[in-house]
Amino acid sequence: MKTKSYKIKEKISDALELPKDITLDIPKVTILGKDSITVENHKGIISYNDNQIRINTTCGILTILGEGLTIKSIIQEEIIIIGKISNIGY
Amino acid sequence: MFILRLWNYFCGYAIIIVKGIRIERFINLAVVNGIYLWDIEKIDYTTIKAKINIKDFFKLRSIVRKTDSNIQIIEKCGMPFKIKIMKRRKWFFLGLGALLVFIYILSSYIWMIEIEGLARIDEQAIIDNLSLEGLKVGAKKNKINKREIENRMLIRMPDLTWMGIQIKGTKAFITVVEKKPEPQLIDRDEPCDIIASKDGVIDKILVLNGDGMVKDGDTVKKGQILVSGTIIRDNISERYVHSMAEVHARTWYEDVEEIPYRQIKYKKTGRTFRTYSMEIINRKLERNKKIPFENYNKSSREIYLFNFGSYVFPIKLIITRYEELVSVTKIIDEEEAKAICEKRLNARIKLQIPENAIVLNNRIEYFTNDNSLIGKIYVEVMEDIGVKVKID
Repeated sequence: MKTKSYKIKEKISDALELPKDITLDIPKVTILGKDSITVENHKGIISYNDNQIRINTTCGILTILGEGLTIKSIIQEEIIIIGKISNIGY
Repeated sequence: MFILRLWNYFCGYAIIIVKGIRIERFINLAVVNGIYLWDIEKIDYTTIKAKINIKDFFKLRSIVRKTDSNIQIIEKCGMPFKIKIMKRRKWFFLGLGALLVFIYILSSYIWMIEIEGLARIDEQAIIDNLSLEGLKVGAKKNKINKREIENRMLIRMPDLTWMGIQIKGTKAFITVVEKKPEPQLIDRDEPCDIIASKDGVIDKILVLNGDGMVKDGDTVKKGQILVSGTIIRDNISERYVHSMAEVHARTWYEDVEEIPYRQIKYKKTGRTFRTYSMEIINRKLERNKKIPFENYNKSSREIYLFNFGSYVFPIKLIITRYEELVSVTKIIDEEEAKAICEKRLNARIKLQIPENAIVLNNRIEYFTNDNSLIGKIYVEVMEDIGVKVKID
């Protein structure tokens, strides 16, 4: 998956200490306590269920498990998910 | 986010239900096309519930076609819809507005005057005088100059020592302090006579200063000089002194009472009748109803319908209650009549006798005629009848 241009970009941002989520479009996942997740730089929803949400990102599919999950808000840059979260993984 | 929500509320939003197999694709396409969806909930495998801006709703059409899904509005929320409802109920809101304006106008007038601190002065007298100064029920609040009215009222009513006016809401609270009555004292240096305040027989006279004109046992008339402050002696010119004396005299009080043997008493039957009337700004609205009773007791109660603490509005409900009475005739015998007569006479005579008088003798005589008993009371008392009067 890692292309040549991606590697160059990574090296530059490492060298210049630029935040990777901006330069490389890497997802930034913020978990607030037990019941709120914000995913920035997502690439769309793959599947959506009451107890499982799968979100496409540049570094794989992010899976969120839980109960009563709802999408509080969704725009191109970020998704806010609320509900009882139990598990997060790639 | 909150700002966005607020914006959406102002623009109006809809709660929609989307049905389709590829529901995730629907959401992704919406996001890519810049359609903002929020509060997305999965209802079942193929159905979601979401909120969407009204303007964005029409953009959904192409996505719906692409994803082969079904869309349905279940609720419309936000300002535009609220306004729509308001427009439909235009007259209701206009009326509400008119009422608020009406209440605002009413609250700039005075609708109630409460007076505090009165003991001897008649309340009506103060109300009358206040209305002459411009403070009355229905007067405009901002036209009232409290300090000036207070000052002018003190000039108008010499019995008042102080007056305070406070306006709270639509009520005017008036606090008054009355002048204490000063006993008419005559200065010790001023020459004076002592005269009799009522008819009587002198029991004991003790002259401390001045010339005594009467002796013990003399009968005196009201106004007669008892002790003279004008001293006349041979060979010396007239001298005037301040007389002082203690004059104890026997005086009499009497009263008459007639008690008929046929006593008519009124008893409540328990039947009541009520009439209601309204009073709006001192104008009475009432229906004339015939009172179904021949004899009745009338009592009325006034209720301010709009009474919010210090804001009282001049709309009153007056409930008048009539209680039916029946007359019961009772024949009493002489003994009972005497008892009633004695009770009444004693009660009445007590009011006439001054407090510091000593009762010497109390006698009641009864006379009877065909249908009533007449009682006469004589009370003999010992009291000080001397009153000082200035010599001109």
